Amino acid sequence: MKPRVVLVDDHELFLSGVRAELGERVEIVGEAGNVADAVPVIREQDPDVVLLDVHLPDGSGDAIIHAVAAERPGVRFLALSVSDAPEDVIAVIRAGARGYVTKTISADELATAVERVASGDAVFSPKLAGFVLDAFRSGERVGGDAELEELTPREREVLQLIARGYMYKEVAARLNVSVKTIESHVSSVLRKLQLSTRHELTRWATEHRLV
Amino acid sequence: MALPRASTVGDDRVIAGICAGIAQSLAVDVTLVRLVFTLLALAGGAGIVLYLALWLHNRSQTVWLFVLALVIAGALLLHAVGLSDRSVAGVTLIALGLALAWRRGGSFRADAPVSYAGLVAAAAGAVLLLSGGSPNAAVLAPGAVAGALLMVGGPWLWRLALDRDSERAARIRTEERAEVAARVHDSVLQTLALIQRHAEEPRRVAAIARRQERELRGWLYADRPIGDETASLIVALSAAAADVEEMYGVRVELASAGDCPVDEAIGAVVLAAREAMTNAAKFAGADVIDVYVEVADESVAVFVRDRGSGFDRGSVPAGRLGLTESIEGRLERAGGQATVTSGPGAGTEVELRLPRRVS
Repeated sequence: MKPRVVLVDDHELFLSGVRAELGERVEIVGEAGNVADAVPVIREQDPDVVLLDVHLPDGSGDAIIHAVAAERPGVRFLALSVSDAPEDVIAVIRAGARGYVTKTISADELATAVERVASGDAVFSPKLAGFVLDAFRSGERVGGDAELEELTPREREVLQLIARGYMYKEVAARLNVSVKTIESHVSSVLRKLQLSTRHELTRWATEHRLV
Repeated sequence: MALPRASTVGDDRVIAGICAGIAQSLAVDVTLVRLVFTLLALAGGAGIVLYLALWLHNRSQTVWLFVLALVIAGALLLHAVGLSDRSVAGVTLIALGLALAWRRGGSFRADAPVSYAGLVAAAAGAVLLLSGGSPNAAVLAPGAVAGALLMVGGPWLWRLALDRDSERAARIRTEERAEVAARVHDSVLQTLALIQRHAEEPRRVAAIARRQERELRGWLYADRPIGDETASLIVALSAAAADVEEMYGVRVELASAGDCPVDEAIGAVVLAAREAMTNAAKFAGADVIDVYVEVADESVAVFVRDRGSGFDRGSVPAGRLGLTESIEGRLERAGGQATVTSGPGAGTEVELRLPRRVS
């Protein structure tokens, strides 16, 4: 069954492009160009996936996630952006998005990413993997749950391979494990990213706030 | 209130038309009313005060009615304390003058007119006080005059400072706008022109657009100067990636964790990475090249990966210097190491690793 998708993006040109490219593999049930319009559309449609631009005219993507995530737990969010500002991306992920891809992604990859998110997995583009590795880089730990505050060596390895451009399938083959195992590692990283109260993460975000 | 309100009395007015108004509404001769006011005015100035009060009431200036009442009460109080009539009159004049001056000139707006009437009243009051000669004038006068000067002049000086500030802000804004315009002209507008000229070549257009996007994003989000390729490893690699994209019409995805300044050794890594990207685009026939940079405390690693045709090391012609010289040799001379992993049909990955000197 094709996943039901709501597109939230304020660039009409980009919307129509995605509509044309994804039409085959996903069912687009709604569109919105800003935070205010998106919230009721998502409530009404209850889609499988919301494809979400990080920057919107009346706010950022995480505002939408905060507004609807609690009452629509079945809806999954995939962030999509041209923005390279890491703190914005991390903010959306920490709000609850299941992944982040850049807008330069090919239509095929995007459709795969949507399907992956629809089935509950996380989607880490190379860029996001880099951001996360950077955010969790060595540095003193300030209290907190140690298990939550650090990446395991295996998780680090998986992220590094993703950052290097390996697809899940390729990472699995290289590490001699199943794709499912890789997916669970990535989901675990996502969880750490979302739950961590790591001092490091905040400091990192502050350091990167250059705009 | 039952007091007469006659706002329009036309030509039949001497000061503000209050007497005429009263005469009109009471249906008596205006001269009679004026006579009453004059008599009252001679009786300790009560007529003047009454006239003022009625005028203010007529114009619905409730605040000023209140001020007037306050001034009268103050004057009575001073009088009761034992000040001479002259001093009381002086202080009252100063107070009224200041009130007027503050109302007109004290609004802190640059375009607010100054109340000359207020200034004149305050000055007259000051003169009256100073020339008073009463024993308590010597005590009161200097303070009152200094206070008056400060209260009249203060708002002026304040406004002057504000004007200068807003002027400077405007100048800075103009300069900023000019700088943005210059940047947009040098980059975005040139790129748009290029795109129009190459509209028939989609790959080239895509490459140009991507290069522009990279530059603009670098400027907007990372505060990196456009074109300054020596600023940091990431900036230098982005520039190299953009060049390769433009030259060969491929897409280079750059991911990174950490960054560092460019020194001679890092410069060698950048050049080697650029060569690896070029190889991937030129020989492997890849559409997408993934580049990942990781800067750790002890080493810098750059991975350049493609899913192209791959190659067998043994079959590379001996005369091709790209791999041995430009990549492996260059890294070794810089104190690092290059590892190439490839196989026919399996794509290629070049790993460049450089230990970091402890500085």
